[in-house]
Amino acid sequence: MQKILSKAKSHVSPLALASALVMGTAGLQPAMANDQLIELAKDPANWVMTGRDYNAQNYSEMEDINKENVSQLRPAWSFSTGVLNGHEGTPLVVGDRMFVHAPYPNTVFALDLNDPGKILWQNEPKQNPTARTVACCDVVNRGLAYWPGDEEHAPLIFRTQLDGHIAALDAETGETVWMMENADIKVGATLTIAPYVIKDMVLVGSSGAELGVRGYVTAYDVKTGEQRWRAFATGPDEELRLAEDFNAPNPHYGQFNLGTDTWEGDAWKIGGGTNWGWYAYDPEEDLFYYGSGNPAPWNETMRPGDNKWTMSIWGREAETGEAKFAYQKTPHDEWDYAGVNVMMLSEQEDKEGQMRKLLTHPDRNGIVYTLDRTNGDLISADKMDDTVNWVKEVQLDTGLPVRDPEFGTRMDHNARDICPSAMGYHNQGHDSYDPERKKFMLGINHICMDWEPWMLPYRAGQFFVGATLSMYPGPKGDRENGLGLGQIKAYDAITGEMAWEKMERFAVWGGTMATAGGLTFYGTLDGFIKARDSDTGDLLWKHKLPSGVIGHPMTYKHDGRQYVAIMYGVGGWPGVGLVFDLNDPTAGLGSVGAFRRLQEFTQMGGGVMVFSLDGESPYTDDPNVGEYVSGEDA
Amino acid sequence: MKLLSFGLVAALTLATPAFAYDGTNCKAPGNCWEPKPGYPEKVEGSEYDPQHDPAELSKQGEALTAMDNRNAWRVWHMKQSGEFEYDVTKIPGYEEGGTPPAE
Repeated sequence: MQKILSKAKSHVSPLALASALVMGTAGLQPAMANDQLIELAKDPANWVMTGRDYNAQNYSEMEDINKENVSQLRPAWSFSTGVLNGHEGTPLVVGDRMFVHAPYPNTVFALDLNDPGKILWQNEPKQNPTARTVACCDVVNRGLAYWPGDEEHAPLIFRTQLDGHIAALDAETGETVWMMENADIKVGATLTIAPYVIKDMVLVGSSGAELGVRGYVTAYDVKTGEQRWRAFATGPDEELRLAEDFNAPNPHYGQFNLGTDTWEGDAWKIGGGTNWGWYAYDPEEDLFYYGSGNPAPWNETMRPGDNKWTMSIWGREAETGEAKFAYQKTPHDEWDYAGVNVMMLSEQEDKEGQMRKLLTHPDRNGIVYTLDRTNGDLISADKMDDTVNWVKEVQLDTGLPVRDPEFGTRMDHNARDICPSAMGYHNQGHDSYDPERKKFMLGINHICMDWEPWMLPYRAGQFFVGATLSMYPGPKGDRENGLGLGQIKAYDAITGEMAWEKMERFAVWGGTMATAGGLTFYGTLDGFIKARDSDTGDLLWKHKLPSGVIGHPMTYKHDGRQYVAIMYGVGGWPGVGLVFDLNDPTAGLGSVGAFRRLQEFTQMGGGVMVFSLDGESPYTDDPNVGEYVSGEDA
Repeated sequence: MKLLSFGLVAALTLATPAFAYDGTNCKAPGNCWEPKPGYPEKVEGSEYDPQHDPAELSKQGEALTAMDNRNAWRVWHMKQSGEFEYDVTKIPGYEEGGTPPAE
């Protein structure tokens, strides 16, 4: 049962107007959704997808807010989603509208940027509450996708629901246009990923590897909901949708039959490899990129083999879903280094001075990988902190990690002081790339762990982990006091150097945003939004939010004024102890112990906080905006 | 002292193979796993046999097939009527597991 609060009253939708303008700039030929999204993203006023544009750089060319004046940033307006639990991702802005998502029950809100106090519409799905009991790590959602419409179809907003549905909403009215089943909670499958629009398709991933869910990505027709294709992470080649020339440029990565041959028996059917992170897309190559996650169960002794193709960076053709390449970063994972993290696309000269199309991916396993995104060549693989110890190095010629056996895990053994922890030195945070400085701004966890496996049977719909974890600050943190759990760094993928790095009290879980104003914005778990100098890392500004942050900042322009926005709402994996009032340090898959101090700094809440210079907003421009006028609110 | 040294050496000798897996000894490209010393090549029949129930292992595939089938009916109905109906039991002609009529 959806709830539509109100419908927009304007006769000409700003969205339709934006689409029409795009169509105009594209000439007389009808523009594909791709073209329209690209054009919309070129306007820095908009933020049309979670990573701002297909490059997933989380970078804005706007510089109205810059190093010189950032100290004048003040709250302009705010919006409460009315939901507790963790708020991941970031809102979208298209034209005069902001679209805000929320954790379960996954209500979507459309706000009028001319009068942000006005909710244009809200759509709350009726979900099976059982979904909450099979969610791995809080009931988060990572965001929305926007399809700009065509001559016959109105623009759409796409939402994933924790209970496994993908829904298309009319961006103008909020009404549900269609809703399809993508994951069945009865077998432990959920949805937390932000959907992703390419052409006239919406891509949806999968969640539930902690319940043995076999991962897959599915493309649906935006107009009808019809399935275009589905590709799995494990199993027979035809179900993996491997192209005939799969990994031909890098045959040493492995090619065919490995989705079954690197598993014992039918273990691939419950082998994990879900993808709940982020996508990026190169329209010229027609390739999209994402990471498949951890194998199931976490207990490595129960699943002999390299467990392909979990833990892999995928390059798939959008039109067909066929995989052109896959590179497995952590073969036979022993630590839950789920490889779903952000893929940021850039074009840079390599060490030989050759301009290349790159993909940079800060992985859970503590390595930042950079690949040639046209063919999967491994360009660099650098430790994001020198305390990474499970691996000695990654061989660039073979692509293999050289593991340090001292930090391997196995049955009947309690492995200690493994760095990073299962949370990785980097998790789902959507980071940013500053193309002027050629630096990746990385929000980092600094957490290590002890790990002891145990046996358990597989039962569909039940947790299938098989390991007890204790987590604590990394060597550079304060283990005695349980603080110093995070870092922020500026990384050069070509030299492998960190331009600067700073410690944080807690993990920088949500990611970063870089701007041409020379600023790097990010939120902290203890509830600050901060701005650092992108050249030096110096802290230039911060503001205390109502609750901790696990989402990433965004920026938009409205009526000629630049705003910075961020979702607040502590939770997610690092916040499960706080959200669910857990005390056992090994509970929450080890998170409770690591973040035992979090509740001393923040509590639950959920919403969006928006900032501008001097706090200027439609309401300071004219205090009468949004005032009650008899007859106009009818 | 001599006994202690021998014990230490023996312990190290025994311990070293148990820590030997470094992931670089490949059987074929992309197939580089090997059992840690003292652990089985295959877990079936060993003390680490998860004893998977084939019926449980099939449930995910069955769930996906059922969902895809219901979705196909929803798409078919929307194409036919122009209206979206989520509840497949309200779609004329719907049969659980059946294929929607050809367009």
